[in-house]
Amino acid sequence: MESNKKYWKGLEELQNTKDFVEKNKNEFAEPLPMEEVLNEAGLNTVTPRRDFLKALGFGLGAVTLAACQTTPVHKSIPYLVKPEEIVPGIPNYYTSTFNGHSVLVKTREGRPIKIEGNPNCILSKGSLDAKGQASVLDLYDVSNLKNPVLNDSEVSWAKIDEFVKAELAKIKTSGKKIRIVSNTINSPSTKAVIADFTAQYPYTKHIQVDAVSYTGIIKANENSFGKAVLPKYRFDRADLIVSFGADFLGTWISPVEFSRQYTSKRNNTALQGKKMSRHIQFETGMSLTGTNADARLPLKPSEEGIALLNLYAALGGAVTGTKPLANNPNVEKAIALTAKELTAAKGRALVISGSNDVSTQILVNAINSVLGSYGTTIDLDNPSYQFSGNDAEFTEFINEMNRSEVDAVFFLNSNPAYEFNDTKAFTDALSKVKLRVSFADRQDETASLCQVIAPNHHYLESWGDSNPVEGYYTIIQPTINPVNNSRNAEQGLLIWADAAVSDYYQYIQNNWAKTVLAQSGTSWKLLLQKGSVTLPERSAATYTFSRELDSVVQTILAESNALAKAGDNAVELHIYQNVSVGDGKSANNPWLQELPDPVSKVTWDNYAAINAKFAEKLGIAERDLVEIKTDKHTITLPVLIQPGQAYGTVSVALGYGRTKAGKAGSEVGQSAYPFLRLVNATFHTASAASLTKTSGTYELAQTQTHHSIEGRNIVRETTLKDYLKDPNSGTGHAHVNHYDLWNEYEQPGHSWVMAIDLNACTGCGACIVACNAENNVPVVGRDEVRRRREMHWIRIDRYYTVNEDGNKVTEEKEIEKLENIDKVSVIHQPMMCQHCDHAPCETVCPVLATVHSSEGLNQMAYNRCIGTRYCANNCPYKVRRFNWFNYWNDSRFDNYMNNEFTQLVLNPDVTSRSRGVMEKCSMCVQRIQAGKLKAKLEKRTLKDGDVKVACQQTCPTNAIIFGDGNDPESEVSKALKSERTYYVLEELNVKPGVGYQTKVRNTVEV
Amino acid sequence: MSSHHESILREPLVTGENITYSKVTEDILVPVENKPNKAWWIGFIVSALGAGLWVFSVSWTFWFGIGEWGLNKTVGWAWDITGFVWWVGIGHAGTLISAVLLLFRQNWRNSINRSAEAMTIFAVICAASYIISHMGRPWLFTWALPLPNQFGSLWVNFNSPLVWDVFAISTYFSVSLVFWYTGLLPDIATIRDRAAGARRRIYSILSFGWNGSVKTWQRFELVSLILAGVSTPLVLSVHTIVSMDFATSLVPGWHTTIFPPYFVAGAIFSGFAMVQTLLLITRKVMNFENYITMFHIESMNKIIILTGSIVGVAYLTELFIAWYSGVEYEQYAFLNRVSGPYWWAYWIMMTCNVISPQLFWFKKIRTSIALSWLLSIVVNIGMWFERFVIIVTSLHRDYLPSSWVMFYPSWVDVGVFIGSIGVFFTLFLLFLRVLPAIAMAEVKLLLKSSSDQAKKKLIAEKAVNRVEAEYYLESLEKYDSISPNVAELQKV
Repeated sequence: MESNKKYWKGLEELQNTKDFVEKNKNEFAEPLPMEEVLNEAGLNTVTPRRDFLKALGFGLGAVTLAACQTTPVHKSIPYLVKPEEIVPGIPNYYTSTFNGHSVLVKTREGRPIKIEGNPNCILSKGSLDAKGQASVLDLYDVSNLKNPVLNDSEVSWAKIDEFVKAELAKIKTSGKKIRIVSNTINSPSTKAVIADFTAQYPYTKHIQVDAVSYTGIIKANENSFGKAVLPKYRFDRADLIVSFGADFLGTWISPVEFSRQYTSKRNNTALQGKKMSRHIQFETGMSLTGTNADARLPLKPSEEGIALLNLYAALGGAVTGTKPLANNPNVEKAIALTAKELTAAKGRALVISGSNDVSTQILVNAINSVLGSYGTTIDLDNPSYQFSGNDAEFTEFINEMNRSEVDAVFFLNSNPAYEFNDTKAFTDALSKVKLRVSFADRQDETASLCQVIAPNHHYLESWGDSNPVEGYYTIIQPTINPVNNSRNAEQGLLIWADAAVSDYYQYIQNNWAKTVLAQSGTSWKLLLQKGSVTLPERSAATYTFSRELDSVVQTILAESNALAKAGDNAVELHIYQNVSVGDGKSANNPWLQELPDPVSKVTWDNYAAINAKFAEKLGIAERDLVEIKTDKHTITLPVLIQPGQAYGTVSVALGYGRTKAGKAGSEVGQSAYPFLRLVNATFHTASAASLTKTSGTYELAQTQTHHSIEGRNIVRETTLKDYLKDPNSGTGHAHVNHYDLWNEYEQPGHSWVMAIDLNACTGCGACIVACNAENNVPVVGRDEVRRRREMHWIRIDRYYTVNEDGNKVTEEKEIEKLENIDKVSVIHQPMMCQHCDHAPCETVCPVLATVHSSEGLNQMAYNRCIGTRYCANNCPYKVRRFNWFNYWNDSRFDNYMNNEFTQLVLNPDVTSRSRGVMEKCSMCVQRIQAGKLKAKLEKRTLKDGDVKVACQQTCPTNAIIFGDGNDPESEVSKALKSERTYYVLEELNVKPGVGYQTKVRNTVEV
Repeated sequence: MSSHHESILREPLVTGENITYSKVTEDILVPVENKPNKAWWIGFIVSALGAGLWVFSVSWTFWFGIGEWGLNKTVGWAWDITGFVWWVGIGHAGTLISAVLLLFRQNWRNSINRSAEAMTIFAVICAASYIISHMGRPWLFTWALPLPNQFGSLWVNFNSPLVWDVFAISTYFSVSLVFWYTGLLPDIATIRDRAAGARRRIYSILSFGWNGSVKTWQRFELVSLILAGVSTPLVLSVHTIVSMDFATSLVPGWHTTIFPPYFVAGAIFSGFAMVQTLLLITRKVMNFENYITMFHIESMNKIIILTGSIVGVAYLTELFIAWYSGVEYEQYAFLNRVSGPYWWAYWIMMTCNVISPQLFWFKKIRTSIALSWLLSIVVNIGMWFERFVIIVTSLHRDYLPSSWVMFYPSWVDVGVFIGSIGVFFTLFLLFLRVLPAIAMAEVKLLLKSSSDQAKKKLIAEKAVNRVEAEYYLESLEKYDSISPNVAELQKV
């Protein structure tokens, strides 16, 4: 219903005036000033209001859009056809073998990025050494050859095959000799290939020569027991280990295996059983093994044989003609005591020597026989095949070449032009050979003397196998398509020998089917999954030494006399391998070059290590350059004052001074190979030399420059005797009041913590390289290490203590005053971010770039960091590392990351850090995350052991345990409950998350 | 105020004869209104070269990275923060003079406050440049400010002393700048009134329309007083907060509660030394002897003895407490300072800061211009070393001996530091050219009450006690700018 009410707007409407009626006709009562607007002011304004607003709106929008930084475009090409087994972001693991150790290769999107020990490996039990960890980087080495080389020009494989075959055919008809020179080959398939090749070319001989030879032990065993083998040593069965210069934890034969065995008698489990082995080391230079010994006595190389003779005599052995060590009463005394201890430990003792002298090793055999070691701590029936080089065969080969009897030579994993002690003799002899073929992956010292370089695959690209010890066979399978145009050396040999099966993959399968697979009853597939086959061990028989020792004694005494020369500058030179660079094969690996030597902490150089008192006598100081001269060779090296070095000796590491290793490894240090002496058909590491100071100075790049603990209780130790009385003896736990300014962080889920057993850590440094590989830690190079800017997230602090009259002298100024500094004890302490619950770094960061996680981790948000470095200053452990430069984009750091090809090795799960950003140990947070995600996908809770951090995983001695502190059943919780547990700098109440277990020394009071 | 006379016993604050308001203006505006003299040009060229070195060194650092400095894994701060604290400290004298002395009605401050405040501002600029340039990623420096951002609730860490530092320095800089500029207004107006053409227009804008009315003056006085009140706590707080960068950390040698007072004293100490360094030259080159008199110099020297002694006591207290605390790390840190590899730095610090200012107990030395200047330089060197000792010798050997290292500066470190001095002097010399180095308006206030001329007039009028007048005239001998008028003395 319409309302009948009427509202009027004005009197005009009510009255309905004429005016109103007129106006009401139009929509608007008054005419709009349209004309005015359109004609005059409106159109004459330069910018009408609306246009202005439009322009403003558009302008603002456009500027905003233009100001938006475009996201950097990273081109990634998706799989057109995705391989079934590859899921982007999910790693695949393949079994393979590095140096006889079965490993797992982690690949991401088809490229290997990390090597890890295979838990099935009987040698390593899932651990791996530094070289193994670093080996993945060699795959991405820019110095590798891209194509095969014939007479210095790159050619196709067909050309190579044509050339080599034609040459071989000529040689076959001429009946001249063919030699295949390699380092030790324990691959059954390679051996079979060489046998096939030999069958085709009957004048072929395979010569094995190792850069660092163990011929002495093999020959000695042949002489003593008729078995030319490298025995299997059982450190896990030895209660008393006496080593004469054998660095069995660092470089001697099978250090990973030995470290594991050795620690099994010294770790927490052993200590809980109230037992610990005892280790006495007699040696010249301070080796890694020496640093771990319970008693260590420096002795000169010339004294070593005599000391062994005296030991044998003291054990009741019949020797005539020996003499007491007049100049070294300490050792003389120690030998008598050692003999007593050994006698008491018969059947549980092991005596070893690092010497390559056959006579010395025969004497060691005699001693071990007296001690009843054969069948218990030494096993001759399950020998090791890790080294089988024969020095004499190689020298004979040089003679053959000189006599022009050899027409063809193949070098496989062998580089005599660098490793042989007389490069000139070798080079001259080689020039008489018509066909020279090298399988080297680069133009190395020997390869550059060859007409043909047939680059071999990197082991991660190839098929292969290995038989490192009796009854243990491992497989090498490729994890990436060959990067360069390389080819398996074996395949080359098969092709050149016109073998029936020239495909090496097929060949291996056939070979395994015939031998190991048949014996073990396993399948090829299963083998690839497990990585190895272990045949039942043979029982170790007892052997008794029954030879006449007269000639041995004479040889030893003669050698001793040859080394001990009189004269002011006379010095006994001792050549050794260090843990990082070893024999120099992987000298071009920047991870290894920058891995500090476990003892001296020197990177990127070798040096002349001498005793402080001896240096004082010669007027030599650190940083001086000295000339080391023997009758054969002279080199100039910088001096390193090495505590524990025998007086009157100088130690020089092998593996340096490569001339054609590649970008990183060439011209680093000086080669010590020319100092090796051929005596009685084996290469000896000691020689008489003279040491003279020369002009100039040189600074070594050390990662640690202060070496004593200054009486601080940051490393804690006890003796076995005290430990047995009171397990707390080392920690010195007093009652600590915990007053807190800070709130506790709640850690409702996990609480990630770590336990490090100082008694298990040998200081080998494998963890450092593992961490580098896992976390994309930059390599900074020698100069930056000199500026103390190495980037390692984990380091191993090494401290020396001098024992004097039962007192430990730990202060540098006090040590300088001491007369006798021979009794040095050493401790290794792995140090990384302690993930403090009251982290001093967290409170000082102005931008909250480092914060605490609810799982107890101290986390770095790299993107938030502005680089004030306040956190690093305030870190009492000094574990934070600053990116001083853009290591991945700066031509001055051309070692590693500054190269698109090498960048392929980077772990895609870990950001690479830009310049100006702080970084540090993250406790492998990416691994924690991966573990959690995996557990979630499998709909289960995270188990202890699901997540292993990189350093823990590679540690050969299980010194590092990581896990959930909230889980009372976890391995780490149990380890931290040990009475030996203490926290470094706990009095600061920063509440570190890493607990250390005290070092226990099995010392014997005289 | 002309009826108010200062006691005749007080030393005159303005000396010279026939000083009128216009003479004050004429004298003080000489450098502003005329072409610079040779001395200025020499100084400016040298300083500009220094500033050029700074630009080069800082650009070098930005281009290649902080790694171009000598820092390392253990010593994360060295010349950078040494320089920063040194500059901030120097700035403190300016604020003390302009604010605290104003509140305490210390009228002698009137002729030195302008330059001292300018010095403060330039020193804080140098200090702030270090804050930016020492960052690993300086282009992200805004992240240290609590600005709203696209990251949601991501703020700065209010626990971090560096954030406090950012607040302290920025507050300090803005308050100092405002205070300085407010004080400049009447003087700028004076220049404006005397200038012509473009200069007049510029100064006209800069003078904020100052018209000299009573109301303007009243407001001017009020604002000065308020700003003095605001600034006074800053004199204490800024360096206290700077010291907390160290004191709240747990580095042995840094973690000490004595730091705030010790740093403040040190700051004033170094600040006065720098004022001395600057003004002794300015007064000579610019012929300001009548306005910056021996009385000023001596007064400042007295403050230097006082603060130097406080600093000395602090040094000894630190040593004592380190021993008394029984903390081995603390003990070692101080033993290492005294006798470690950087012992020379410690002993330079001790000699320059503790021993040399004690020479000012001797009136001869205190009133010698050459020696005052020399000692002011010595103090500046000593205070630089103090910061170097605190920062580098504490860091280079802290808890774990495995990480003990040495620090060696690179050429870039040296370049940035020398360069920052160049920047400072460039700014200061430009300031002398364009703005009056002495607060004309404030000096004029003193003319009728505290000038020599006013006092002599009183003596002439025999309006003062004869003995006191004699004392006054005798004591004039002490001032280098006035030769006592024997005739006048006899007249009395």
